[in-house]
Amino acid sequence: MDNTDTLKPQRSRAAKWTRRGFIGAGVLTGGALLIGVGVRPGNPVGRLGPIVAGGEGEQLINSWLKIDADNIATAIVPHCEMGQGAHSALAQMLADELDADWSLVRVMQAPADGNYIVTDTARLFVAPGTLGAPDWLEPTWNGLFTNIGRLADAMITGGSSSVRSTGQHTMRIAGAAARHMLVAAAAESWGVPAGEITTANSMLRHAASGKSAPYAQFAAAAAGQAMPQTPPLKQPRAYRLMGTDAPRLDIPAKVDGSASFGIDATVPDQQLSYAAVRRVPVPGTRVTAMDAEQARAMPGVLQILNMGDFLAVVADGYWQAQQALDTITAEYSPAESTIRSSADQYARFTAALDAAGDSGGDEAASHGDAVGAFASAATKLEAEYRTPYLAHAPLEPMNATAWVREGKCDIWTSTQVPLMARTAAARATGLSTDDVTLHHPLLGGGFGRRLETDYVTMAARIGAATGYPVKMIWSREEDTQKGVFRPADISRFKGGLDPDGRLVAYDNAFTQRHDPPGAFDCPFYDIPDKSIRVAEAEILLPFASLRSVDHGQQGFFIESFIDEAAHAAGKDPVEFRLALLGRSPRHKAVLEKVAAMADWGTTAEGHGKGVALVESFGTIVAEVVEVDMTSGSPRLVTVWCAADPGFAVNPDGFCSQMEGGIVYGLTAALYGEISLRDGAVEQSNFHDYKMLRMDECPAIAVEIINGDHVTLGGAGEPGLPPVAPALANAIFAVSGRRLREMPFAKQFS
Amino acid sequence: MRPVTRAQPLALALTFAFALAACGSDPEPPTEQITVSEPGAAQTAPAAATAPEVAATDPVAAGKAAFAVCTACHSAEPGAAAGIGPNLAGVVGRKAGTLEGFAYSEAMKASAITWNEAELDTYLTLPAARVPGTKMTFAGVSDPAKRAAIIAYLASITG
Repeated sequence: MDNTDTLKPQRSRAAKWTRRGFIGAGVLTGGALLIGVGVRPGNPVGRLGPIVAGGEGEQLINSWLKIDADNIATAIVPHCEMGQGAHSALAQMLADELDADWSLVRVMQAPADGNYIVTDTARLFVAPGTLGAPDWLEPTWNGLFTNIGRLADAMITGGSSSVRSTGQHTMRIAGAAARHMLVAAAAESWGVPAGEITTANSMLRHAASGKSAPYAQFAAAAAGQAMPQTPPLKQPRAYRLMGTDAPRLDIPAKVDGSASFGIDATVPDQQLSYAAVRRVPVPGTRVTAMDAEQARAMPGVLQILNMGDFLAVVADGYWQAQQALDTITAEYSPAESTIRSSADQYARFTAALDAAGDSGGDEAASHGDAVGAFASAATKLEAEYRTPYLAHAPLEPMNATAWVREGKCDIWTSTQVPLMARTAAARATGLSTDDVTLHHPLLGGGFGRRLETDYVTMAARIGAATGYPVKMIWSREEDTQKGVFRPADISRFKGGLDPDGRLVAYDNAFTQRHDPPGAFDCPFYDIPDKSIRVAEAEILLPFASLRSVDHGQQGFFIESFIDEAAHAAGKDPVEFRLALLGRSPRHKAVLEKVAAMADWGTTAEGHGKGVALVESFGTIVAEVVEVDMTSGSPRLVTVWCAADPGFAVNPDGFCSQMEGGIVYGLTAALYGEISLRDGAVEQSNFHDYKMLRMDECPAIAVEIINGDHVTLGGAGEPGLPPVAPALANAIFAVSGRRLREMPFAKQFS
Repeated sequence: MRPVTRAQPLALALTFAFALAACGSDPEPPTEQITVSEPGAAQTAPAAATAPEVAATDPVAAGKAAFAVCTACHSAEPGAAAGIGPNLAGVVGRKAGTLEGFAYSEAMKASAITWNEAELDTYLTLPAARVPGTKMTFAGVSDPAKRAAIIAYLASITG
């Protein structure tokens, strides 16, 4: 992007790290920070050591940390790395509490083992209230959710949760507890009070006696010390690594090519065969007949499988398998659903919304009397918005390698849910989970697609049929057309303004409610009478979470409508929103920040600016998009983004996630559409399922506000939801044309 | 955005608790399994004759087909906007790095090439070798017949 450097606004994130902000937050929580039990009673180093610390001179201190003879501290991270930086950020949190030297810190992916369930992520999703529970209750909650988590295979990377759950509630405590144990071991050996020992840069020191030692010297003794469950954590002013752009640990291997992804899997000492697959084109149908005469004579072909719900060709090489598969013809059973086209799908939504009428459906979150307030409003507005199905399109093709033999199964795959993947393989092979080993290297993109285990089941079934190691790889066409999708939806809005142009009545009815809880609401806006209703309707394509999940649609619905209300009231869209944020000072600060960044109120000839504000996954994000409409169709110029995630552990990584979310969201806004024809997906590859290209990418400026260092927000998803409505609002501002349906680009051709 | 109805956290809790049960059903073996060979066994199947990739009869049509890979970055439609790479309509006969409105690399601007069939052939073999520093990150077209077809196609379009 050399040619755009001069246009690109500089990030100025350091400016927000004010000491006053930290002191303010500290006063609220009192002295030492106590948040949860990262370490479980009874240190399992004896059992886990051989699994995760088998290297020469390695000593496991607790489940999450090992230290070797060279004083290298390795954080064992239970979340997956799919480019979002979780591995490094979580290591950074542990290392800060440990007082480790960042150059001596490494990260290791925790194995798919019940000891590495992400208890605090389960708590965040199921019962977030327990994360602020009194200290004495912590062991109870921790124990309860550990048991639930084990039952549910809760080793999950999703919901923008790694830093705010496992990082804040596990890794920091693990680091602080380990530091405490190292100090205790040194105090015992040196015969000095523990309170006189200081730690810094992976070293222990006793000033009075002049003694000092690297952590490694006391690693073994530390592992035998009693482990505190609620060690005091640092206040922000004592942070050394958190809040800094500590260089990411996963980048060097990705630059030099040594990083290993699921698709790079090899099976030690075994020849690998390859499978290409073709699932039934219409969900829920079955293969009734196949003709594979040509395929069986093709070079390299080993086996041809009709699995009922998919076809597979196993060959010496992937390309041979795919070429042979392409020659196979098949017949399928009739579809069960009567949804055959996108029009059918939207008709289903319309029928459900019609049936719900003005006040029917499931009340999701309502207060006051929206129907009455609407009836008596001075100005009435109604609008209907639509979003299509979307595919995740991760860069790394869907793949899994399975070796099933002699009552054992090994799976190598990129997954966001390693333990669920292990269970899926066990089910598919009829083995117990103890007989399945799940190897899960880095992910070449997840976006929620790899929260599903359908592809793992397929590979395990192929492996069970062949008995030798097989790597299954989906073609890009297969990934675009089959599997799981972000659902389409329609939202119907009604709103009422009082004579002063204030939004007093609000009704949003839609058909899709999945995750996360509350995504359909904007409680930070002070609206007196409000109803939010779900009129459930059938979707043809199977559901999967897609980056930002329901917020991706609801952000577009809600923030487009708020903008329409602002214009109907004759008010500036920023001023209109600020007037609704009287009870939400953090949201107000974020909106004011982005307006200042974007020089809101000024616009070049032929350009328009639009704004949107969404809180998702605990992070408040406001964005302004500037669009150039001089050619008659939208050209992106700049996106300004202000975000309050509570506290950004690695500001550079956080900004990267905002940028990534914005680009992914702009792809959906301009181009993203999976449409149906004869019950099947029409698009097939990147030529008809377009991504935002480099030459179309706007300059992006991100600024961070740290508003609460205790309850943190996520990073992976919150950048996405505001960008589509901000773009639609910008197009309206310059052209007067209101876009109520995604994607936008085709509406200008 | 926490306060919601009670039903939803419950639903989520159930999702967690019963994720295990929802993971799949009993093992489902193939309904049809054709074994042709074993891994590592000598290949008995005859090597399929590889179809010639470039038809000898119409190089322009063949070049248009081969140009598909180039459309990831280039348009060859007269008047179309530049993408990641410049518009190639009328490139044959054009001086390198001179199409207005495209931000060429310094290397391309300084290359002093005027694109003819021979220059394009050299360049398309391995762009970075002919113009070190070019922004065109493309490994090249190794098949001479395919290169010739692409060039014939480009020559057939007048800017």
